[in-house]
Amino acid sequence: MKNGTGVHVLPQTTILHRRKREKKKRDWNSIIFQAIFLLPAIAFLLVFMYYPIEETFRISLTRSVGLGDADFIGFQNYSRLFASTEFRAGFMNVLAWAFWSIVIQIPLAFFIAFSLTAYRNRLTGTLRAVYYLASVMPSAIVAMLGRFIFAPRFGVIASLAEALNWTWLGRIDFLGNPDIAFWSVFAVATWTYTGFPIVYFMANIEQIPMEIRESAQLDGATQGQYARYIVIPWVSYAIRIVAIISTVGSLKLFDLPWLITSGGPVHATTTLAIILYKQGFVNWQYGRAAAVGVVIFLLSLIFTVAQFSIQRKGGDVN
Amino acid sequence: MKEISLATAGNGKFSRFRPRSGISGVINNLILVILALAVVLPLLLPWFFVFKTRLEFSYSPWSLPAQIQWNNFQEAWKAIHIGQGLMNTFWVCLGAIVCTVPAAGMAGYIFARYRSKVTEVIFYAVLVGYFVPVHMVLIPLYQLNVKLGIIDTLPGLFLPMTAFGIPFWTIIYRSFFRGLPGELAEAARIDGAGHAGIFFRVMLPLANPATILAVLLVFIGSWSDYLLSLVLLNSPRNFTMQLRVAQFLNQYGTDNMPRYAAAAVISAAPTLLLYIIGHRWIIRGTLAGALKG
Repeated sequence: MKNGTGVHVLPQTTILHRRKREKKKRDWNSIIFQAIFLLPAIAFLLVFMYYPIEETFRISLTRSVGLGDADFIGFQNYSRLFASTEFRAGFMNVLAWAFWSIVIQIPLAFFIAFSLTAYRNRLTGTLRAVYYLASVMPSAIVAMLGRFIFAPRFGVIASLAEALNWTWLGRIDFLGNPDIAFWSVFAVATWTYTGFPIVYFMANIEQIPMEIRESAQLDGATQGQYARYIVIPWVSYAIRIVAIISTVGSLKLFDLPWLITSGGPVHATTTLAIILYKQGFVNWQYGRAAAVGVVIFLLSLIFTVAQFSIQRKGGDVN
Repeated sequence: MKEISLATAGNGKFSRFRPRSGISGVINNLILVILALAVVLPLLLPWFFVFKTRLEFSYSPWSLPAQIQWNNFQEAWKAIHIGQGLMNTFWVCLGAIVCTVPAAGMAGYIFARYRSKVTEVIFYAVLVGYFVPVHMVLIPLYQLNVKLGIIDTLPGLFLPMTAFGIPFWTIIYRSFFRGLPGELAEAARIDGAGHAGIFFRVMLPLANPATILAVLLVFIGSWSDYLLSLVLLNSPRNFTMQLRVAQFLNQYGTDNMPRYAAAAVISAAPTLLLYIIGHRWIIRGTLAGALKG
């Protein structure tokens, strides 16, 4: 019922009464109230989001250095960007990152979530809290701990190798070897990013109705069969959502590779966001940085639209 | 429906599939405990090193310290002025909360209770903002802050932060207010309350669970931020906690491991403390947000 005042349930007489009054004049009280209440949010969004979005598109078509005047150069920034090896390396890293997040983190999270819910006991609540702990750690601190583990010579692994006399382990350069650096950063990321899928899958598994579970048990299903035929189909919606969240997260990935390896060695751990930052705030090439921003935006838009269509189809778990 | 899920997310009746044999259950729990240790280990290991001198560490990193040294903590604290960093972060968090929560709450209320074509259109405009990554607008944000004269200031950081937090919390508040019974508002109206009176005296107190979640999660979000602070703050005096952690990483590196470990312990402590106190709320809030999508 839309009568301009937002009242949803009204006695019949009141409605008639109000309608008569509203025909005569608009309810200015209500309109002013709505405007005042919407104003702060709209002002924030206009100034610090919509205007900068428009600017990003505009700047991405210009060549500008620092705060000086900018020349319009069409799509040159984009074509330069796509031709550069750094951008290609970053793009491939982001894709690899998304792929391995899905292949490694989601099964790991599902295994932990399923085991936690299947063998529920006094420890379960505590374990869930422990598993989520790494997710709330700010990324700068996560990076600090990552360097603490992987640092050459004095890092935990290096000093452990020395104490045990495992020279082969001590010789591995976890952050300086281009073939290994990606995986070191990825390991740190797995540590911090697996917490969310675990609690999310748990919440989904816990919503499996009692009757389904009991009838599976009556039919003599084993633990594995129960997981395979009931739990996985039940959480497939959640799995797809997490896959998309990981993909969009990979597109925006910045903090960990930047703080652990600065995107190096060479371009081994560079990402789209790192390229954006370096172009914009190290080389002061605003145009090219903005072009990277547009690329990140368009790619994440595609995946977010996909997420929405899944949510429409799958229905919310609520 | 919505407000029920907000209160009970991750807290419902548990669907448990009873294991057939006790042994597999024991093994399972053992694996889970080992994996949980792997999560905690990086936070515990620094404690092995923090009480040692540099020399002692290089000879026997894994032994117990011969004598407990506290000066690693002092040095780490002083090296990057952690006290100042905590104050700056505190102001940024406070600013972000004070700006985000009321603005989102008020807008969410209008979108929930004053539904018309106009408000629906505005709601979709806000919703779009939810999908915009802050990475995209770093360059213009920087330029805008320069123009407004708020570059390298704390408001210059928390105002954009607010803009990027508002869409999500507006969505949460909207669905929360839609779940509240309309009869309450109507009763207040009959008692003579105006639009603002209904909101402040009836609806807002009922929205307390959403408000607590918003305050907590906005706090954590601005506490953890790194990228936006990196771009919008320049002078070390204004650095937030996370920027100082990064500064320590770059300036001092891992050569003096005991001091590095002390810095790690100090910088992780506030988050750890907050999590130990509020982990139920934090997990519940994250789930409530995620389940709603």
